[in-house]
Amino acid sequence: MADKTLSPVKFLEQILEPEKKTDHICWQCKYFKWVLKGSKLPPADIIGWCKKIHWPFYWVVPEKYVIKECYAYEPKE
Amino acid sequence: MERIERIPMEEQSGPRSREELEANKMPYEEFCRKLFDVGNEFSKPQALKGIRWLSCTMYIFTPHMVSNLAELGAEVIKIEFPRLADPMKHTSPFNEAYVYPLHDDRPLSGQGLGVINANVNKYFITLDYHRPEAIEVMYRLVKMSDGLTECYRPGTFDKWKISYRYLMEINPRFIYVWGGGFGYGPKVFGGSYDILGQAHAGLASITGFHEDFGGFPVKHTNWVIDWYSGTLGTAGILAALYWREKTGLGTMIEFSQVMCAARCIGYTWPLYGKWGIVRQRWGNWDTLLCVHGIICCGKSDYPDSKNPQLRDEARYVMISAFKDEDFKELCKIINRMDLYEKYQKHKDRVEATAQIEIYNALEEWARDKSRSEVTKILTEAGLLAMPVLNDKEIYESPHFRARGTIRWQADPSYGDILVHSTYSAGLLSKTPRRKYWDARPVGADNLRIYRELLGYPMSTIKEWYAKGII
Amino acid sequence: MCDIIWCKKCDTVNYLDPFNFWNWEGKIGCAGCGTVYYIHMINGYMYRGPEERPGETPDILPLYADQPNNGYEKFLPGIPGKTRPYNCLPREIYLGRADYRKFSIRGRPVRGWAPQPKSTGPAGSHPFIWQVEKHSPEVWQEFIEKKKKGEVKDW
Repeated sequence: MADKTLSPVKFLEQILEPEKKTDHICWQCKYFKWVLKGSKLPPADIIGWCKKIHWPFYWVVPEKYVIKECYAYEPKE
Repeated sequence: MERIERIPMEEQSGPRSREELEANKMPYEEFCRKLFDVGNEFSKPQALKGIRWLSCTMYIFTPHMVSNLAELGAEVIKIEFPRLADPMKHTSPFNEAYVYPLHDDRPLSGQGLGVINANVNKYFITLDYHRPEAIEVMYRLVKMSDGLTECYRPGTFDKWKISYRYLMEINPRFIYVWGGGFGYGPKVFGGSYDILGQAHAGLASITGFHEDFGGFPVKHTNWVIDWYSGTLGTAGILAALYWREKTGLGTMIEFSQVMCAARCIGYTWPLYGKWGIVRQRWGNWDTLLCVHGIICCGKSDYPDSKNPQLRDEARYVMISAFKDEDFKELCKIINRMDLYEKYQKHKDRVEATAQIEIYNALEEWARDKSRSEVTKILTEAGLLAMPVLNDKEIYESPHFRARGTIRWQADPSYGDILVHSTYSAGLLSKTPRRKYWDARPVGADNLRIYRELLGYPMSTIKEWYAKGII
Repeated sequence: MCDIIWCKKCDTVNYLDPFNFWNWEGKIGCAGCGTVYYIHMINGYMYRGPEERPGETPDILPLYADQPNNGYEKFLPGIPGKTRPYNCLPREIYLGRADYRKFSIRGRPVRGWAPQPKSTGPAGSHPFIWQVEKHSPEVWQEFIEKKKKGEVKDW
């Protein structure tokens, strides 16, 4: 049974564990879709995708270019 | 005979002026009917008459590649494994739709309808390539044939000494086609299925609805990539035949089905290459045009039908109104001029968020209407709207019948079968495609090929048959 | 694998098949006693519920339910008011009996039954024409009668 104090977004975060944590601000952004733990694909140098930029297409977020600010950034609820 | 120039103009038959000529021309519709003359294809010549092709194929992809040639007039010899047949013959929708017989030795096995259209007009013989006797048969067939299509794992025919390396020495004009899953490369030993092609080439990842709407990657219900890559393979063969016409030399064609599926994913890879954008599914809508998609209506066209496929499913309609004036008309009909005010430019309404709003408004409007009502209202307003037809409705459609796309054929071996081959692949006025039969039982043409074509004595044929070589 | 709602009132297990309930929020009725439960599932995990919502109408019914402590009395799909209909239910013919056909839907003979009378020549060779009147005279007779009755059509 889920912790009743969690919001749906926080709850989903618990379920979907990321492969790696980085310094991108994307982790606080509600449009970020991270690479799941244990994924063999996609290639190792990306941490996930942005679901906002060019939606409905996904924008690849690379690991090596650390994003500090972004016009599409919106904090999670 | 008097030369036509010497006859005075007014005494000549035919039109007197350009205007009269124009007036005398038959309407285009009538012209087409006469020119293509659907149903009368057997009185016309065949484009590929004189080409002989060997079809060492299985399932749908490679057989269909050669079936296209056979429909166009080539003589195709399909080589199957003795007694066992093409494995595709044993597959059938939900294991119930068979026609019989498959072979007299197996009285309760039939040919599944899954294989229909993939082996049109072929002669069916059997041969076990593993046996030493088979090599001589193959070499003799190759000497008198123009090409071969095979679908075994890469290198298998090489192991049996019947690959292109060996055959080009026997017959330098020979065109050799390998069709299969991955082709040479790191995944050389991977086999292939249609679903693998759809999944591995990224086609399934962009089919279905977007994740945000609860969608997931979808495979097409039918084996589209099998049929599609087979047809592309035929295009390759025709080019190779033309090249041979010019140079007198054969070719090897290596045709990977998985790579072929990449051919129909459109702008996906260029998009990724330019920006690193991963294309997502957009379901029944269009990423480049709006309004241009399929919507769901509230009421069924067959509300009282017992069949759930008709009662519940006959509710979808395709709507296209992407030009500004069409979109304005559509907004007027659904009484949402505010949408038109908001999205006057196509650039604005093709945006993802706009599409969601627009299609939701359309479905809201269609909630109390049936599919045919929606089609009627929009067609009368001059917009393009077509119901999503199921096979029952296609069967009843006069357009499909008039063009011969769907028709009844008295198959010589299996009786009355409803088929779609031949005319579904384009109409040729001079050399139309034709279908004599859909398939034949296992080894049905053994005598015709081994005795009449290759001239083996009956005793040898019977001995080989008893030993299971043929 | 799917989540369940085990209704303690009537001891019925309601199965939440993942296709419908992977990401779902709403009310579901128990197949055993009709109690309405509210659930909210995210990514296949139960996030809220099941909470009883007495007096409310359910949004959906389970597809299948059973009672493990009562001899697994089953609630198959399509019981009105208890379970949701499943329109792709296997037809009886999927249960092992081949659906042989002797005539197409327009009433002409089609070779859709087994076993067929033997018609193969040496080395498996086969004639080009199926002579119905010769190979299967009873089907041909039936066809003639159909023709007389006007059941044979062009389409």
